[in-house]
Amino acid sequence: MGDAVADDKTVTERSEDFLHLNETPEEIAFELRAQEGALWTGGRLVIGIWTFAFASLAFAYFYLRSANNQDLWRPHDITAPTAAGAAIFAITVACAVLNLYGVRRFRSGVALDWEVAGWTSVLGTLLAVGLQIWQLTDLPFFPGSSGYASCLIGWAALNIALLLSGLYWIETLLARQARLRRALLEDGGTAQSTLPAARMFRASMEGCAYYWGFIGVVATLFWVLFYVL
Amino acid sequence: MAIDVTEQSPDLFPGETATRQHPLSTRTEWARPNVLWAIAGGVVGYLIGHWLGNVIASGYTNVQSSGQNDVANVLGLSFGVVGWMGGIGALNYPLAKMLGREPAPTVPEQSWVRYFRMTEDHKVVGIQYTVGVLLFLFTGGLLAMAIRTELLSPTSHVFGPGTYINIVGEHGTIMMMMASSAVVGPLGNYLVPLMIGSRRMAFPRVEAFSFWIFMAGYAVILTALPLGGFPTGWTGYAPLQTQASGGMDSYLVGFAVIGIGMICAGFNLAATIIHYRAPGMTWNRVPIFVWAILATCALLTLATPTLVVAGLFGILDRTAQTAFFVNEHGGSSFLWENLFWFFGHPEVYIMALPGFGIVMEILPVFTRKPLFAYRTAAAGMLGVALLSFFVWQHHLFQSGINPDMRPLFMLTTELISIPTGFLYLVTLGTLWKAKIRFDPPMLFCLGMLFNFLIGGVTGVFLSDVPVDVTVHGSFFVLAHFHYTIMGGLIFALFAGLYYWLPKITGKTMNRKLSQWHFWTFFIFFNLTFFPLFLVGLLGQPRRVFEYAQNLQPLNDISSVSAFFLGASFFFFIINFIWSVYINPRKAPDNPWHSRGLEWQTATPVPWYNFERIPVVLDDPYHYGERDAPAVADLGQELIAAGRVSSTPVDPDDLSVGGRDDLDPRPPIL
Repeated sequence: MGDAVADDKTVTERSEDFLHLNETPEEIAFELRAQEGALWTGGRLVIGIWTFAFASLAFAYFYLRSANNQDLWRPHDITAPTAAGAAIFAITVACAVLNLYGVRRFRSGVALDWEVAGWTSVLGTLLAVGLQIWQLTDLPFFPGSSGYASCLIGWAALNIALLLSGLYWIETLLARQARLRRALLEDGGTAQSTLPAARMFRASMEGCAYYWGFIGVVATLFWVLFYVL
Repeated sequence: MAIDVTEQSPDLFPGETATRQHPLSTRTEWARPNVLWAIAGGVVGYLIGHWLGNVIASGYTNVQSSGQNDVANVLGLSFGVVGWMGGIGALNYPLAKMLGREPAPTVPEQSWVRYFRMTEDHKVVGIQYTVGVLLFLFTGGLLAMAIRTELLSPTSHVFGPGTYINIVGEHGTIMMMMASSAVVGPLGNYLVPLMIGSRRMAFPRVEAFSFWIFMAGYAVILTALPLGGFPTGWTGYAPLQTQASGGMDSYLVGFAVIGIGMICAGFNLAATIIHYRAPGMTWNRVPIFVWAILATCALLTLATPTLVVAGLFGILDRTAQTAFFVNEHGGSSFLWENLFWFFGHPEVYIMALPGFGIVMEILPVFTRKPLFAYRTAAAGMLGVALLSFFVWQHHLFQSGINPDMRPLFMLTTELISIPTGFLYLVTLGTLWKAKIRFDPPMLFCLGMLFNFLIGGVTGVFLSDVPVDVTVHGSFFVLAHFHYTIMGGLIFALFAGLYYWLPKITGKTMNRKLSQWHFWTFFIFFNLTFFPLFLVGLLGQPRRVFEYAQNLQPLNDISSVSAFFLGASFFFFIINFIWSVYINPRKAPDNPWHSRGLEWQTATPVPWYNFERIPVVLDDPYHYGERDAPAVADLGQELIAAGRVSSTPVDPDDLSVGGRDDLDPRPPIL
């Protein structure tokens, strides 16, 4: 128990070092709320940034498809390996759903379920990235052979970047949770503690789940574009 | 205020209680991440990346046949950027975060070395940006001198045609990169927290990251010339882009890198403005400069990703042999034009809006009148930001657009002149019947308004298809955008610098030298660029190093004036060195008698900006009003009474108003 108290102080001190420089309680509360709000807005802004990035890819897709220069949009209706494409799509969407489910369980106070869902997502995302890279080595066409081929290469590059960004966010949260779990044990854990560290953690986790929802939507839309249409 | 760095680290595992020094504090100055390490990291990263690219692609047929390995170039530059960021310490925290660590307490530094490091102090970042932007500006300016030297004569040449177009492209790209951050970087970062009453930025590491990657972009674009330059001008049009030599890789990587920096800068500032406004600072009280920065941030975060993705496509075309912009293989060169200008036109307002923000912020101070139609100004800026996403195809009037679509984009382009006109009318309304004080910042504001009027009116001409088709690709277009960007933005930037430098440096700038700077800058700017409208109408094309003999007199007026225009910057440099270092005179706390919140705190600004987070009571534009209300309660009574939080805080008691006994000010809502 003595250790737990010491741990608890460590976390509290950290927050105070960072936030409580000669500040009144109202100022501390104000900055905490501002930080929570900034995390909320930051998460949505990141989604906005990626939305415009993928909108650019979608624009290229439809532009080249409608232009169909030299009848080379997609000669012979050739498609990238569909099994790999479907697997990447399915794994990504499953990771997104797992994240959203995990956060719901976390809100109910069951942090362990979120951790399991999170680590599963990490493994799933690594698998999806690996499959995406492997698919690039197994394409039945040359990258510059058609508009479709070019867009698919562009999609692969952007999708890998998007998945890695989601992977980074969830992994850093899980690592943080590993450090905070014992420290906040007395205070109800990260799910219920009112300490600043826990509040920031929860705000970041909510943003991460929302972000993963976005990743799932992107995976679905572009799977339809590249493998269904 | 200073933090004892020997306190227990927050990065200990639970149960790990040993007290230790912060690891960074034990290193000697030179061993800590700084710009020297960044340069070393950049060089090593470039070498590794280039070697890797040779390993991967040296056997490719196209590499062997052309002798040009774009894979090596791109990997070299990309790894160089990563090495640079690693050397400056930008990757330390993201990597530590993967181990679950949170940021160590920030130790405020007073040494000059902090300007060469990654820092979380927004004021230091603002100063770093100022120097960085001026470096871009002077580099681009030197290239402009080279261009005008070549154009002194239509037949005698200093450069060959290839070198000339490379210089033109490098000049344009560097200037565009500079202009996109010219105000947001230096003044936005330095001033926004002060103007909204905040003690810090929302994401200070992202802010610092944005600056250092901005400088990495500078290094990358400089490599274009030794790698063979790029013949496309700053717009990088395909198919020339796909066919160009290795310098094109620098262009594409450089723009993508700068784009990432722009996104980061906009992201951080937007979150800060939305959430870190002091209590009482409602949207109706937000300084107009902050509104301008917010509108710009919306464009930075949403339009710039398109540039980065377009750059990625270009890189893939040149390295992975995709065909995004290659017509013969199912791509389209017009795709680049669309993607580039979908970013490029909002980019125009990324440059223009902060300039207007500065001018509208400064005018009330020197007219001693309230800002005319404050809400209209704010709405105008948001309107411009929104509409700027719907006008990009006017850059394609001459090529790459279905002719039936021209009227639509002509209409949207003309529409955007309405909110822009709002902004201009706001400035005129503020000037109306005012007793103007012609201090140096005000002179630059008036210069900006004069120049922007010419740039704006010619912009309305260009939005009409018949005029645009007639003068497309001529010096008329060049003169138009130099009047809006240099005549608008750079004049506004100097207005802002002269206005806020006493706050930033604590020193008074020499008035005579400031006036000399303005008048030489203003006169020679107009003498340089106004003749270019005429030579454009007379048919002189851009980016061509020869021209008709009868256009030489006008070109010579422009060239000679350009040299004087370049020389006019020396007045600023000399003034700065003289006023800050050689003959420093302490600036009064509020030399312009401004009501802005940024002038209410101490000079030099303390690390935490405000002793107490201010409670804002009114907007800052009640100039010339008797019994004007105070702008903010700065908590002076609290400070005088020594009533600060010296007792440990119960984290459960952080609810709003929960400790009213300590702070008698209004509850924070």
